[in-house]
Amino acid sequence: MTRQARLVLGLLVGLAGGCGKPAQPVVKIGFVAPLTGDQAPHGEDMLNGARLAVDHAIARGDVIPGQRLELVALDDQRSPTQAVAAAKKLAADPDVVAVVGHLNSSCTMPASAIYHQARMLQITPVSSNPQISRQGFDTFYRTCATDDLQGPAAARFVAQELGAARVFIIDDMTTYGRGLANEFEQALRGLQGTVLGHEGITQGDKDFTPLLTKVKAMRPDAVYFAGMFPEGALLIKQRADVGLGGRFMGGDGLFDPVLIELATPQASEGVYLTTIGSDVHRMPTAEAFVKAYEARFGPLGAYSAYAYEATSLAIWAIRQAGKKDRAAVLAAMKALTDYPGLFGLQNFDERGDSRIRDIGLFTVQGGAFVFVKSIGE
Amino acid sequence: MSPWWVAAAAALLVPIVNPNAYHLDVLTGAGLYALLALGLNVVVGFTGLLHLGYAAFFAIGAYAYALLNLHAGCPFWAGVIPAAAVAGAAGVVLGIPAMRVRGDYLAIVTLGFGEIVRIAFTNLERWTGGPNGLLGIAHPTLWIPARGLYDFGVASQPYYYLVVVMVMLTAMACLRMSRSRVGRAWAAIREDELAAACSGIDTFQLKLLAQGCGAAIAGLAGAIFAAKQGTITPDSFDFILSVMVLAMVVLGGLGSVPGAIVGALALGTLPELLRGLAQYRMLLFGAVMILMMRLRPQGLLGTGQIRREPLTDRPPHDARPA
Amino acid sequence: MTPLQLFLQQLANGLTIGAIYALIALGYTMVYGVIQLINFAHGEVFMVGAYLALSVLLLLGISQPLTGPVLIGLLLLCAAAAMAGCGLLGWGMERLAYRPLRQAQRLTALITAIGMSFFLQNAVMLLYGATDRRFPALIPALRWDVAGVTITWLQLAIWAGSAVLMVGVQALVMRTTLGRAMRATAQDPQACRLLGIPVDRVIAVTFVIGSALAAVGGMLFGLYYNTVNFHDGYLTGLKAFTAAVLGGIGNIPGAMLGGLVLGVLEGLGAGYLSAQWKNVFAFVVLVGLLLFKPTGLLGERVADRA
Repeated sequence: MTRQARLVLGLLVGLAGGCGKPAQPVVKIGFVAPLTGDQAPHGEDMLNGARLAVDHAIARGDVIPGQRLELVALDDQRSPTQAVAAAKKLAADPDVVAVVGHLNSSCTMPASAIYHQARMLQITPVSSNPQISRQGFDTFYRTCATDDLQGPAAARFVAQELGAARVFIIDDMTTYGRGLANEFEQALRGLQGTVLGHEGITQGDKDFTPLLTKVKAMRPDAVYFAGMFPEGALLIKQRADVGLGGRFMGGDGLFDPVLIELATPQASEGVYLTTIGSDVHRMPTAEAFVKAYEARFGPLGAYSAYAYEATSLAIWAIRQAGKKDRAAVLAAMKALTDYPGLFGLQNFDERGDSRIRDIGLFTVQGGAFVFVKSIGE
Repeated sequence: MSPWWVAAAAALLVPIVNPNAYHLDVLTGAGLYALLALGLNVVVGFTGLLHLGYAAFFAIGAYAYALLNLHAGCPFWAGVIPAAAVAGAAGVVLGIPAMRVRGDYLAIVTLGFGEIVRIAFTNLERWTGGPNGLLGIAHPTLWIPARGLYDFGVASQPYYYLVVVMVMLTAMACLRMSRSRVGRAWAAIREDELAAACSGIDTFQLKLLAQGCGAAIAGLAGAIFAAKQGTITPDSFDFILSVMVLAMVVLGGLGSVPGAIVGALALGTLPELLRGLAQYRMLLFGAVMILMMRLRPQGLLGTGQIRREPLTDRPPHDARPA
Repeated sequence: MTPLQLFLQQLANGLTIGAIYALIALGYTMVYGVIQLINFAHGEVFMVGAYLALSVLLLLGISQPLTGPVLIGLLLLCAAAAMAGCGLLGWGMERLAYRPLRQAQRLTALITAIGMSFFLQNAVMLLYGATDRRFPALIPALRWDVAGVTITWLQLAIWAGSAVLMVGVQALVMRTTLGRAMRATAQDPQACRLLGIPVDRVIAVTFVIGSALAAVGGMLFGLYYNTVNFHDGYLTGLKAFTAAVLGGIGNIPGAMLGGLVLGVLEGLGAGYLSAQWKNVFAFVVLVGLLLFKPTGLLGERVADRA
């Protein structure tokens, strides 16, 4: 190795190791979401929610007497492999007693096995694939509604209230999108709806006009899309460009104001979407949170409230346990009843799924999301 | 004592000196990269065939073991051999049509294969679970006298040892191969294919052999990866992975067996070392790649044995009809 | 819609993205032509071009469609700014990263290009944020109905703009002294040096021109899709690279043809077969074609080793 190369390596190692350890004992909460890559904006929204929860908790005094509460934020780049690496990193750190994460169901799934083995409380704010909680891990909790609620609720709305009989389904070929789309399709078939087709698109792709032109020729009453907002916005805009009529409905991945900005307010007028919970802006229990969040970080992201809720729950469990001990924190969480959360009184079923099973229905009106009603169970 | 034995002993001592599960896991990941780099080195380094779809064979190995395990209950030790064999066979089968093209055209054909395989795994939902991938793949187990059956589970140490042993065995095999008749024939093809063919080397067979060997090593790595993760999804095997492995081989030094391992350790652990830099880490990662190539164009352990073919100043009409 | 109308509509869809692919493919092919380097970072240059055009619009505070001379002037201004910025970027990349490696193994430069690609992507992410940014729709959403096939002004503008540039590049390469120097460098740089041709400068200019074309591609891409993101360069760059090889890498008319063919193939594949196999379709055709015509549609020969 040349001297320069050695210098570069040394510098890097120094940089990586340079973050010195503070003297005061710390208790840590792990946080994992994509912080780089194409879904970094969602991860950032979640991280802001988690940060706010930690700061609120610190303002209320030490969570464990004499120990400083710290949030360790890791990046999983929405890659399952990276998610497992991050999970192992947290599991190996004895100061970490609970984890908030991940965002993507495909990441939460393999990572949950690591947390389970480490006997560490994991609360996912938003991974809504129902399979995750069916693995039977007692360390797993989830603060949002699952896709086997969201898909059928959307299908009921499309078939019964919009009166759409012929529907074309599109998903983004991810664990989340395909899972939600399948739930929707199954429920719609059960309601005697006609599924004209079900096709996947690639995340990061931009040109959906060929698919939409094809769909246009089938004259569907509605198009259902399960995926995230960047692709959703392009679908909505290009749908207007190719002159595809009928309704457009999507899942919670679309619930981001950027969707309307990208798709233009005109093209997105009248688009419907469901969310994995009620409208946080309308919850009196969440008023203080929304105010504090928007004062500090700007407009509320789609998943910020869930991340705040999950982090607050983890902190609550640590406070109850009163010591830096994973088993005690987990035991405290299991004993939780009627936690006063953002969406009302929070309770969990035997799988760790929240008993608040609201599905919110929103529509776009005049360039903004407008809450229509709750269409959950 | 040769440096190999020192390195092997040091590698085996790591878990005793530092039992931190996270550190071991990062090293295990880097070890899997090392296996891939060793395999790709056979194709790109030894034989001089630029391959940009190498992740496909990693994927084929992983899915082969996963499907054998899930449908036939095949345990890891019995599944790893067929997984490597299936991937090796895929390397040969995909290699036959690719024989018609050369150089950078070969690069894009292999890139195409890589993408086709990944998208096929995403779309063939019935067999591969589609984007959800395959879940519940069995971890390896080991029968230890007096302690009974030991399941590797999600622990870090056993995988670390498994990968270290596999890397050592593969590296030994690669070294022996490169010094054998076959290895010398590969080198001849790399340096001048026409001359090699003229001196009686069956270039067709030997190029296929190189692709088969490289793919089989990737398949082996894939089976270990699937057994370690317990779940596999198609997006673990994207084009970026192929590119990263290639970067490891070149960074370590084309054609150098220890180089492939060093390159994989460097690029495999660097993102973790840079984790503290949060959103700056991939920026720095790119910058380090550029710098390393600038400071050490022949690779960290490059022998300079490979004939330099500069970008310009090549003799006219170097290109022969394919 | 009759089947014929549907087909023509899909053809128009495909030709639009194909024209953009072609513009980017030109940069890949020109650089490859002179120094046999697959400039992997070229896709990122295209993405930077889109962001530069967006920056001009943001600076001027324009977010609404315009008409007449103002529109044309603004488009030219955006294009000029993006071309200048990307040209400078291309020049800098060549000077700092690729030129020092010209005597090294070819793969060394390829890995540098990959590192450059990571670097540029993340630099843009840090500067502009990771969220998709809205690219204002400048061109009024007017559409023509030609026998049941809808064509927008924007599509016409993209076709016209890319056609002008492609003809210009072809003329530059075939008819000017600089073009002759580029072709000579591609054939035999050693002999060029002996004849007093400033090979280094020719190579640098090639990078600048290729990058400027990608910049226009980026601007048109932004105008067409109205969103830009820091990772847009990856997939589109990969497609454009495929297009360049499809046409015969190193061959300028080949790059244009390859771009259009790939765009149309994708459009028809997604429209008639299946959207989720869209990318497979493009690659299967590519691989199939290369197997029967190993040098691409119009290509002749290529260096035969990695």
